[in-house]
Amino acid sequence: MAGSWWDRDRSQDHTAPNPNVRHDAYADIDFENNAQRLPLVLCLDTSSSMAGLPISTLNDAMRMWAQELHDDVSLSASVEVAVITFGGIGVRAWRGPQMLAPGQPGTPFVPAHAFHAPQFEAAGVTLLTEALDMAMQIVAERKQELRAAGLQYYRPQICLMTDGLPTDTEGQLSDSWHRLGPVLAAEQEKRHFRLYAIGVGGISQQGLDVLRALAPAFHAHLHGFPFKQLLAMMSASANAEQKGAGDEVFEKIFHQFRTQRSAWES
Amino acid sequence: MAAAARRGTWRTHGISVEGYRHRREGLPCQDAWHEASAGPANARVTVLAVADGAGSRPYSDQGSKLAVRLATAYYTDRVAAAPPLGDRRGNLAESARAVHRLLADTFHEVRDEFLDRTRGDGSGRPDDYATTLTVVVLAPDWLGTVGVGDGFVILRAGSEDGKPQFHLLPQPAPASEYSNETVFLTSPEAPDWIHTACVRDADVDGVFLSTDGLAQAALSSAGNPRQEPNASFATAVFRSLDNPGPDPEEDNAALANLLRSDRLTALNADDKTLLRAVRR
Repeated sequence: MAGSWWDRDRSQDHTAPNPNVRHDAYADIDFENNAQRLPLVLCLDTSSSMAGLPISTLNDAMRMWAQELHDDVSLSASVEVAVITFGGIGVRAWRGPQMLAPGQPGTPFVPAHAFHAPQFEAAGVTLLTEALDMAMQIVAERKQELRAAGLQYYRPQICLMTDGLPTDTEGQLSDSWHRLGPVLAAEQEKRHFRLYAIGVGGISQQGLDVLRALAPAFHAHLHGFPFKQLLAMMSASANAEQKGAGDEVFEKIFHQFRTQRSAWES
Repeated sequence: MAAAARRGTWRTHGISVEGYRHRREGLPCQDAWHEASAGPANARVTVLAVADGAGSRPYSDQGSKLAVRLATAYYTDRVAAAPPLGDRRGNLAESARAVHRLLADTFHEVRDEFLDRTRGDGSGRPDDYATTLTVVVLAPDWLGTVGVGDGFVILRAGSEDGKPQFHLLPQPAPASEYSNETVFLTSPEAPDWIHTACVRDADVDGVFLSTDGLAQAALSSAGNPRQEPNASFATAVFRSLDNPGPDPEEDNAALANLLRSDRLTALNADDKTLLRAVRR
């Protein structure tokens, strides 16, 4: 193209739909739903150790967060939420409140304006490695779908939350997560997504070591079950992504979150 | 931040509004626009420029303002001083090369001065002023665009069945997989990303340029990766400049309301800039 005259015959003509002159308003503009998308995956531990107050706190926080997303003009149109749980009957993806059967077609991502929180129950084992595998897979698939639809997107975010150690399907401690370290490092080196790994409640030092290995820059141990703050941090991070913030801004947001200051919105 | 003017053969209007996030957080608009004209009435050159300061840089609002002012100053001067294209009319390829070269050479001058000024006495960091820059030159017998970053330019030219046709000028390949990452005037790789296009088409009777804050509103992906103008948007924003109301301030406020509206914010929460020109 450079060095020659651009010729409009080379472009696809696009016809004006309404030749009637209207001075007073722009009300007749048709907008597509082509907001830049921000895929966000919550990868949540719902194993038996979360039973009782932790899981009810998580359910309450998810409901409030869904409402906050609805109320945010920008995030509601841009953020797409997918939820993955590990516990109970294994690793499952959720499309909003609906748990998807394994192999069920269709994306688990739901536009934030249409997102309703699932109701979790705590039971079963901690298939953390398999859950992260699924998170990476659905993010890659969603990017492909967005590209095919001609939609632009921001760097996806994955948030892992657990209070335990990775196990196998029998509930025995598993070191299968070791293979994830290099995979996650390579994926993040290529900036395919941003991973946050958060330990809550009574997570052991060994559990925290796992999270540190999986997310060297963005891991944290929070006392208790401050899920509301965790989800607010995800929104703050989504805001920063929309503003085109540099890595140092995400580090600052995460540091403020980790130290349990409530100032990240500033 | 708006003005209307009648200069040469084009009626122009520019506006920048702060985006949802900046408005909520009380931060300044980091977009800027400027326009200037030069030359005699029968060979007027009009230059339009828009810039989008990087959200993550501390002085990008100053950077975008500096970029558009340098661009309009340099391009009006260099294009008005260039030999008329008429002398080369016989050789299309040669004339196109000359225009591309003029656009690119002048861009290097703009960038050099931008870096000099932001560096100051040596203590300044040009990167703190990072901004995109998109320029349109309306010369007597050609139209050119040049820039770095993700601004875009739409022309109105020709008609079919009495309806105007809109055309998105060729854009550079995206700098990144992600829509919020682009090349800035200050980026070390910027010289390799300078993008030029030029058009000789007497039927061009409208042009608008914008920063990426309006990309989702003004462009349509129509379910495929190839972007096209959103004809309903182009129709509306040209219409209001073709047929201005009695009160320019009211016209300006109506457009500002559109750019700040929830339906545009939902598509993109960034600052928004629209700089239009239509033949009078």
